[in-house]
Amino acid sequence: MKIIKVGASIGASNEQAAERLREEMKSSGTLLINLMSSPGSGKTTLISRLIRDMEELSIAVMEADIESAVDAERIEALGARAIQIHTNGMCHMDAGMTKAGLRELGREQEDLIFLENVGNLICPAEYDTGAGLNVMILSVSEGDDKPLKYPLMFRESDAVVISKLDALSYFDFDPEECRKRIENIHPGAKIFPLSARTGEGMEEFENWLKERLLSWRNTGDQAPA
Amino acid sequence: MQIDVFETKERILADNREAAKLNRLRLAGEGVVFVNLMGSPGAGKTSVLLNLIRLLKDRCRIGVIEADVDSDVDARKIAETGVRAIQIHTAGLCHMDADMTGRALEHFGPEGFDLIFLENIGNLVCPAEFETGADLKMMILSVPEGDDKPLKYPLMFTVSDVMLVNKMDAAPAFDFDLEKAEERAKKLNPDIRIFPVSAREGRGFEEVAELLLQLLAEKKGRGNEDH
Repeated sequence: MKIIKVGASIGASNEQAAERLREEMKSSGTLLINLMSSPGSGKTTLISRLIRDMEELSIAVMEADIESAVDAERIEALGARAIQIHTNGMCHMDAGMTKAGLRELGREQEDLIFLENVGNLICPAEYDTGAGLNVMILSVSEGDDKPLKYPLMFRESDAVVISKLDALSYFDFDPEECRKRIENIHPGAKIFPLSARTGEGMEEFENWLKERLLSWRNTGDQAPA
Repeated sequence: MQIDVFETKERILADNREAAKLNRLRLAGEGVVFVNLMGSPGAGKTSVLLNLIRLLKDRCRIGVIEADVDSDVDARKIAETGVRAIQIHTAGLCHMDADMTGRALEHFGPEGFDLIFLENIGNLVCPAEFETGADLKMMILSVPEGDDKPLKYPLMFTVSDVMLVNKMDAAPAFDFDLEKAEERAKKLNPDIRIFPVSAREGRGFEEVAELLLQLLAEKKGRGNEDH
């Protein structure tokens, strides 16, 4: 298990580094997806499910955490390539750190590379990682008021996955109210209620990812703002 | 370059510890117990507070400082119980530090209160690094988040005095091993006190309430000795 330590970017602005990275990924035809959420929303479980479901795609993963290699180990156990990044206590990844991670991961012409960001609903939204797609997860156990309390994360994400749908009956989570709140902050955001555990809703999300990959590879595609 | 970043951080944390000491002195003078409540977004911080308020509000004078990046939904919920609550917005900062806490306490006016809670920003990372001057650090891990969180966010578990395992009522829907979570937390922090609770069902809070009253009695006792 490869574990690497990365430090914050100093010097060249993060935005410039992010743009450069996006251009590089464009030319190689690999879609880098920045996956963000609170701790325990189900990032690793979702990636694991996607790897199992989308066998026709070549997928690699960069796991970013403060500590431990449990997430990268889970991905490796599925037979997919993964590295574990330790962020030296930083609560988010930025473009420089992402680039360092990609260098260590090594590129094998993947279709998708997931960056599983540090579990945090605040700081990751503030730092462009250079990804081609930002996806966030809100789990039904966290509450439908999170769009009100952490608006930037919802605004910066191209898609919001509502996870752990199978456990909905245990919580006072109103999917319709949540949807309205998300659309209020980010009109046009894609919303995918699903359960990585049971498979409910996974097909719609997977189809969307495949569409976005095709789009990424065609000329004249728009990268996320 | 990397070394510069570290030194700056160490300076910031050292300065913060000094500011935290000042907060502690001020509150000791008032005989107030100050609790820093932390946990991931959605772990149940506000719901836990509502339960503690229910058990304690007739036995001591409680106040709440709600810290968020946005919205006042939390402060409103607390205010509905009749307890004084103020809402702080941190302008995007992902944690409360001692300076901000000091200013919040100033604004709140701790005189005449026995127990003040700071509901910190929902974040398992940064709040663990910044002392606020609290007498007690209470963190919440909720069942749906998983029993591996002590492995992944060790500092939060290391610095906390109390750990509430919340949403126990939802345990049937998740692969959460309470014993494993407790073992992992205790490995990092053998003195941490762990209480499984359900804020939704109002279960498990009596012991936590007693712990807080005990802390209050001790602080008042020390205060009386000084006079």
